[in-house]
Formats: sequence, structure tokens, C-alpha cells
Amino acid sequence: MTDAAIAVNNLAFKYGALKVIDDMTMEIESGTSYGLLGPNGAGKTTLIRLMVGLLKPAGGNVLCLGKPPTRSMAKNIGYMPQLPALYSELSVEQNIDFFGRIYGLKDSKKRWERVNEVIKVVDLWEKRKTQIVNLSGGMKQRVSLACAIVHQPSLIFLDEPTVGLDPELRVHFWDYFTDLTKAGHTLIISSHTFDDAAHCQRLAFLRLGRVVAQGTPAELRAATGNKEASLEDAFLYFIKHDEVKENVQ
Amino acid sequence: MSSSTLNVARRVILQVVRDRRTIALIIVAPLVIATVAGFSIPDKMMLDNAAPAILATLIIFFGFLITGISFLRERTQGTLERMLVSPISRMDIVAGYLLGLLLFALLQTLIMFFYMVYVLSINYQGDLWQILVFQMLIGIVAVCMGTFFSAFARNEFQMIQFIPLIIVPQIFLSGLFIQTSQLPYVLEWISKFLPLTYGVEGIKALMQQGQSLLDIGKDIGILAAFAAGFLVLASLTLRQKS
Repeated sequence: MTDAAIAVNNLAFKYGALKVIDDMTMEIESGTSYGLLGPNGAGKTTLIRLMVGLLKPAGGNVLCLGKPPTRSMAKNIGYMPQLPALYSELSVEQNIDFFGRIYGLKDSKKRWERVNEVIKVVDLWEKRKTQIVNLSGGMKQRVSLACAIVHQPSLIFLDEPTVGLDPELRVHFWDYFTDLTKAGHTLIISSHTFDDAAHCQRLAFLRLGRVVAQGTPAELRAATGNKEASLEDAFLYFIKHDEVKENVQ
Repeated sequence: MSSSTLNVARRVILQVVRDRRTIALIIVAPLVIATVAGFSIPDKMMLDNAAPAILATLIIFFGFLITGISFLRERTQGTLERMLVSPISRMDIVAGYLLGLLLFALLQTLIMFFYMVYVLSINYQGDLWQILVFQMLIGIVAVCMGTFFSAFARNEFQMIQFIPLIIVPQIFLSGLFIQTSQLPYVLEWISKFLPLTYGVEGIKALMQQGQSLLDIGKDIGILAAFAAGFLVLASLTLRQKS
């Protein structure tokens, strides 16, 4: 057992013969925003799917709040998948209400208060009666986020949450994510953009299913030995090191 | 019945109701098919004989189609994944779907039955409520079957291919055209493993021979077993992937 929000121990996962997650170990402290940064195919989505219990590890384990991610602790987890994953025939508020219901918000009055609250958070009050099919991509992302947080989970997994958002909305999302971590929520955010990475309190650089570096953005930049280094430089530095290590082995 | 099952059922119903075109098709499609079937058999006695089996076949066909496509969409659009991360059980998800879509399968069943009785003037024996209860059971089997087979399709195109694979053989082997006892031995043997065979057998006994539900206990039992089997298998297809 561990006090960390998430503990990943020697985690492994394969799709057929292909190793997607390779002997991965990491710990994520409660109340932090933790970024999983890596190129396409680095294993970010698979790692999140393992963390929320959608996939069964081939080796090692994941502990969320000290327990394996099973149904008994699902109320503590919020999950925003890469696809908007919404019911296109239903309205914004009907989608959020449904996820509120299945996460056990039984009291109708309180649930609707919460539904209305998250609709305002994602700035869709005017569109609350609109069917999902009639919304833009960015609006769907906002509804998807609202569905993930309606039950106020302590652990929130966001798989590429800012993809397809315009810059203004991206800033709005990050302001809200910062508020969530300040309120004690733990956020695990996958991304392949350095804009997103810079907002995270801690980062893991992933490559080919392995963690090649972990730390705060400042620590990762400093590790390059170059005071002027950007996060992008730091990422390339660690990737190159990993490639060299791989070639030597 | 758990509140989670009811929540899923409520959402499924709401989804269909909010899609007006789907609702229109749900109502119009059985009417069109029943009309074509009815007027293609001008002989009244022949129609009376064929109608029960046609009814059972159409219930299975429509139930399978609507459920298969709906559940497939749930899988492909990512909402199923979202539900699997939530506290509700796999059985709640499948049972909720069953309950929600059953309503529309029943609506189609009632439309076809009353259209055949009042517009095509088919004669039937037996109690109306017993016939409707048995039709409901056939609908339940169809919905469970559709949910299960949707696990093997990756898109709507593949799901549609299951109709010739899963439904059409049952039509030929269920006794709709030829009594199962007159089929070649191997086909007769295969027909014993197909739910539509018991649907056709039971509904014929009710509507043509005026038997009661108690008299067709074997058909009811086997259909219930098919429904339970497909329901359990469907929930197993939602297990954690390794």
C-alpha cells in the first residue's frame, strides 16, 4: 500500500507481441497535475487505460488511492477519453445528468444543481439544451470534461483534453485544471504538446512505453545542463539519451 | 432491478425518442414489411397459416437489428468505455440496454400484430394477452442476441453482415417455409439450436391451435434459456481486456 494518489509498479502491457508499456514504474502525489508527455505511440493512452482499469496489465500493477482500479473505487475516478464519447442525440445537460446518475448522484435536486454548475464551468450555459450532434468539436470537448468531473472525483484522468481547442479555450481549460489541483484533486493529463506540458506541476516523458525522465518542468530543463533550455529541448535531450542507451544495449 | 439498470434504460429510451427519424422508421418499417408479406399471399387460409411464423421472424429480425446497431454505436463512440470506468456493473449496462430497447421491440411487435389482425384480417385462436406475452419473450431473445453479436462487429457495415449470417439461416430452418420435421436430418438437428425455431413453434401453437402458455412450456423454457445465455455472454464481452 502507498499514500501516493497513483503508484505504478513494474507495469507491462502488450498488444500481441508488441510491448506497449515496458516495465514502467512511477508515483503520482495527491493534489498535483501530472503530465504524460510523449509522441504518438509512446503509450500515453494505454497507460491511462491501465490506470483506470479498462485494461488488465500483462505484468506489474497499478494502485489508485492505494487500491487496484476496480468498480468499488470508481466513484473517485473521473475519466475523459480521447474521443468526446457522448450521446449525440441527447442534449448537453442530458449527457451530464446521465453520467451524474451512473456515478451515484441520486438526489435529483442536488444532481441538477451540480449539472448546472459544471455546465457553467465549461461555459456552455446557452447551449445546455442543444443536442451534441449540433455542437462544434471544441464544445463537445467541454461537455466531455463536464461529464468527467460532474461527480467531483479526487482523481481525474484527461486523455489529450486540449486537442482541437482554440487558444482561448485552452487557456480557460488550464485555468480550471489549476483550480482543481488547488482544491486538492489529482490530475493525470496526457498530451503531445509542450504548451500543455508547461502547465503541469510534474511531468513524465514517455518513449516506446517507457518513462525516460520524470520531474518538474524546471528540473527537467535544468537536467539538460543548458540554462536556456526549453521543455522541448529537454524532451529531445532525454529522448536522444534513451536512444543511445538502447543502441548500447 | 437496480437503479443503475433503470438509469441506462432511461437514457437508451431518451436517445431513441430524441431521434425522430429513427422513431419514424421504427414505426414505418414493420408496417411496410407486414403489408408486403400480407398482400404477397392472396390466399386467406395460406396467410392465416403463415402469419404467426412471419410475425415471430420479424420480431427477431427487428429486435436484433435495432439492438445490434445501438450497442455497436455505444462501443465505437467510446461511451461504453466511459460507462465501464464508472461504478455500474457490466450486467447493469446490458440489462439497461435490454430494458430500454425492449420497449421499441415491443412497439414494433404490437404494430405488426394489430396490423395483421385488423388490416390484413388474419384469423387467430388463443388468448390475445398470452400471444402478446409470448411475442414479448421472442423480443427479449432478439434484444439479448443483438447485444451479444454486436461485440463481434467493428462497424455498422459488419453488423449488417450478421443478418445474413445469424438471422437468415434461422428463417429457413425455423419452420417458416417447411416444417422442421421435413428438413434433411442434419438441418433438422441444427434447427434445434436456433431460437427462432422455438419462437415459430410456440407462436403457431398459440395462434393456430389455440393452446395456452402452459401448453408451450418447453418453447418458453428454451427461449428463456437462450435469452439468459445471450445476456450473460453479452456481459462477458464487456470484461477488462488483457
